[in-house]
Amino acid sequence: MAIIERPSAVPTFAGAGANAPAVVTPTQGLGVFKRPVAASGWKSWVFTVDHKKLGIMYGVVSMFFFLVGGVEALLIRLQLAAPDNTVLSAQVYNEMFTMHATTMVFLFVMPMAAAFANYFLPLQIGARDVAFPRINALGFWLFLFGGIFINTSWVLGGAADGGWFMYSPNSSPLFSPGHGVDFWVLGLQITGIASLVGAINLIVTVLNMRAPGMKLMHMPMFTWMVLVVQFLLAFAMPVITVALFLLGFERNFGATFFNVDAGADPLLWQHLFWIFGHPEVYIIILPSFGIISEVLPVFARKPLFGYKFVVFSGAGIGFLGWGVWAHHMFASGLGPVSVAVFSVATMLIAIPTGVKIVNWTLTLWGGKLWFTTAMKFAIGVIVLFTIGGVTGVTHAVAPSDTQQTDTYHIVGHFHFVIVGGAVMGLFAGLYYWWPKMFGKTLNEKLGGWNFWLMFWGISITFGAMHIVGMQGQPRRMVVWPEKLTGEGFFNLHFWNQVATWGAFTIAVGVAFFIVNVVVTARKKERAPLDPWDARTLEWITASPPKEHNFDVIPTVHALDEFFHRKYEEVEHEDGHVKLMKVKTAEEILAEEEARADAHIHLPSPSYWPIVLAFGLPIIAYGVIYNLILSFVGAAIVLLAGFGWALEPSVAEDSDYDPPAGGDSTKELATIG
Amino acid sequence: MLAHLPRRRAAAALAILGFLVAGCAKNAPQDIFRPAGSNAREIDDGLGGQKYIFILAGVVAAIVIAVVLFIIFKFKDRGQDIPEQTHGNPMLEIGMTILPAIILITVAIPTVAKIFNLAKSDDAACVVNVTGQQWWWEYDYPVQNCGGIEITQPIVTSGEMVIPAGVNVQLRITSRDVIHSYWIPRLNGKRDAVPGSLQPLRMQADQPGIYTGQCTEFCGLSHARMRQAVVALDSDSFATWVANQEEAYTSPTDALALEGEGQFISQCARCHQINGLTNSDGTPVLANPEQNLVSGAAPNLTNLMTRTGFAGFTFDLITDACREKLWNAPSEEFSALYLQGVWMDSPAGAEYPVCFNETALREWLRNAPGMKPMFVDPNNLSSTGGLYRGMPNLGLTEAQIDQLIAYLLERK
Repeated sequence: MAIIERPSAVPTFAGAGANAPAVVTPTQGLGVFKRPVAASGWKSWVFTVDHKKLGIMYGVVSMFFFLVGGVEALLIRLQLAAPDNTVLSAQVYNEMFTMHATTMVFLFVMPMAAAFANYFLPLQIGARDVAFPRINALGFWLFLFGGIFINTSWVLGGAADGGWFMYSPNSSPLFSPGHGVDFWVLGLQITGIASLVGAINLIVTVLNMRAPGMKLMHMPMFTWMVLVVQFLLAFAMPVITVALFLLGFERNFGATFFNVDAGADPLLWQHLFWIFGHPEVYIIILPSFGIISEVLPVFARKPLFGYKFVVFSGAGIGFLGWGVWAHHMFASGLGPVSVAVFSVATMLIAIPTGVKIVNWTLTLWGGKLWFTTAMKFAIGVIVLFTIGGVTGVTHAVAPSDTQQTDTYHIVGHFHFVIVGGAVMGLFAGLYYWWPKMFGKTLNEKLGGWNFWLMFWGISITFGAMHIVGMQGQPRRMVVWPEKLTGEGFFNLHFWNQVATWGAFTIAVGVAFFIVNVVVTARKKERAPLDPWDARTLEWITASPPKEHNFDVIPTVHALDEFFHRKYEEVEHEDGHVKLMKVKTAEEILAEEEARADAHIHLPSPSYWPIVLAFGLPIIAYGVIYNLILSFVGAAIVLLAGFGWALEPSVAEDSDYDPPAGGDSTKELATIG
Repeated sequence: MLAHLPRRRAAAALAILGFLVAGCAKNAPQDIFRPAGSNAREIDDGLGGQKYIFILAGVVAAIVIAVVLFIIFKFKDRGQDIPEQTHGNPMLEIGMTILPAIILITVAIPTVAKIFNLAKSDDAACVVNVTGQQWWWEYDYPVQNCGGIEITQPIVTSGEMVIPAGVNVQLRITSRDVIHSYWIPRLNGKRDAVPGSLQPLRMQADQPGIYTGQCTEFCGLSHARMRQAVVALDSDSFATWVANQEEAYTSPTDALALEGEGQFISQCARCHQINGLTNSDGTPVLANPEQNLVSGAAPNLTNLMTRTGFAGFTFDLITDACREKLWNAPSEEFSALYLQGVWMDSPAGAEYPVCFNETALREWLRNAPGMKPMFVDPNNLSSTGGLYRGMPNLGLTEAQIDQLIAYLLERK
């Protein structure tokens, strides 16, 4: 989509005549269906293409899956709290850890990052929506239906039991005869489409729809990191898609891509999986890096230290991330040459990652630090991610890694990175942007409980896992035996219990967040327009933003545009120059509103994204149970595709009202 | 509050590292910081070694945390002016990029050297073929001179791999079904058992002793109950062990055990081989596991009672007290104790071995899948064409079990 001006009256153009530029006039003749027009009620959500509504829906659904994955984690920790425990059977335990990882990675961290990206990326670059709004909606519905589809396996004969890495041949029908792996394969294909279309959409949005004056090097760091992630997704998702197709064909149609008996090599799966899987690690962590790169400068009242270094180190991590996949396979017998190459390449990644930590630390240095909950979470990321990062270096050393791999030491390491790094960063984003999204500030006191319980819970749980790992407790074990516990300070019994208590501490911390959301939703008090004295464009509009984001597209002159509009250097009587606040956010907003655009064009809602997305799980159920069902699903997809193509480009003018409270002198038109 | 807590963490982290470096005799038997052989020491020692990199990691983390704490105190909002809007310091940043690069070079070069050292195989004095399957390990010793001891006929055993101490043993690891991983933390890192390929791994134990490990690549239902050990014996004891393994089969003389031999042939020999066992007409009894099992293999039970564990080294053939004694035995006494096995502590000429953990073996014979989850439900084998993955419940009577126990006790 491009923004196309819809004429408010008779179009007149300078030099109108035979060569006048084409003006697209909305017509009703093209489509067989009308565009939905509801501006309130459930229809306004289900058929929406508004990036903000989709962002909120992404967030709500991801949070739900976070709780699901969290309950799975607690069950795992309960099982491991005592030797030879019997809370879960071996089969259910294997399903549990497979689905815990799958849920947390694909249904929580990735879509939660997508929630922020959807909501804030257009706002941060001064755009009114993303490049392809209907595709944006399709992405959300695919994620939701894919997530539900995978989880229905719990009640349809058991979930996948091969681990999230799903190594072949253990994932073949011979060794995993249930349908769990099929649900996993097909569900991830569906959510994979969501990631892929989302990636293309956001890349085009960033490249084409930045506000005037916003050079790439004026973009907020969150936008930058999201852009890097979208490139990673665009190249990584096809790899896992291919791998999943191979596995799906092996399971359902008797193909033999990984079958040794047929002359194939099961390591092919491992290579494909980790060529996707390692960039996936950066797909998970970089959005959080972006968030804290927004939060730290705001609450330190200083610009991000070494903006260019942070941008290029982020891009550098993105590049290097493609050359290290085999460090997940140091024990699989690659031979010393490959192992040496991947070992050194992995060490290289520590350099750009270290650059980021140094830059965040130096951003704080000399600042005027304001310890809001968002800031606490962001500093928590620096501390916890550093711990996870340095233990990562111990795994880069391949000989050392052959001792640590597949033990709890690794589990501790990547949970410091993912929970301490990615999830804490997402929580920083929630506290930081909540007033922007909902117009109310989350309670800081409950936020403090939320932060400290999570911070200590993470440190305790995953710290203890480092210890039991170094004592030789392997991961993915339904039981650990009494006779291997050892005695003394490092005995497995004590530290496994510590890990379990820590996991429940995290759960209580998360419960505080939920209480906080409820308390905040019930309170009347509105958040100030600029509660944090922020620096970037999303704060230049109302909270929550109007449907069209900005009354006038802001013109950007500098990095941290909003800050520079508020603050100027003022010379004092004594001669020295001091940074002073010269304008408030309210004044700036008023200025912007005063020169609001006469024509604001927004994409119309559409019925088709949700319909198209709904067809895919039906195809998937058909693959598992009966191919006739797949044809039904395919028919729905096809129908939706035609509907999508043929629906009118905009809603009928009279059907679509500007949102309540809108200025009736401004005409609101919508296009597809 | 934010401040003093991470500092305590850093102190605790350093204390933990200190402990680990010092080693601790009471730690769990799979402690990765207690190398007991040259390969594990190669992994552990020196620049590019586990210890160095852990200390380095700890120091870096401690510095970062200390700096963050300092900043939190020093620069918190005390009503100071809005700070100068500095955008960075390129020289400082380039320096902070080069510094970690230099530190990493000190790690990278010795790491590469270690990778190639650990991959060497030209110094092997013995070869053992190691094969993983759901959910146990098989060891097969080809005819060879193993560290000075002649092995004149192939030996097939499972669970515990017996090797001569002080000798570089070359393992050739593979799998019959899914991917497994062979790991004896005190002797070497992990090496995956990948079907269709042979993966080398070198093992050497300085002293006689038992070094336990587990399968560390997720391999399905009973992954947690697929364990292994390397048993290093002094040279003489290893020779005794080899000789005993090669001893010709003799039928039991005891009546109960003789009935057990019949039970074995009718109930167990479908899958389990006992070398030298013959039918009443003198024809050899050959196990036929490929007709019954997905992996096509079941543990060879010729010398079951020379082992200390069974069913993937998950359950003990010796009692808890005897296991404690064996596992904690000083290295000079270990070899002799191990050779006694279940007969450890029994007076000479005793009828019944004191250390024999009969309870566990009986329970296993009564209902194996009840002790260790396996895919052996006869009604649910459609995906495998009727083949089992593991040992089914054979529905033996107590009388049959008595006979089998008596028979198996003589497999020593």
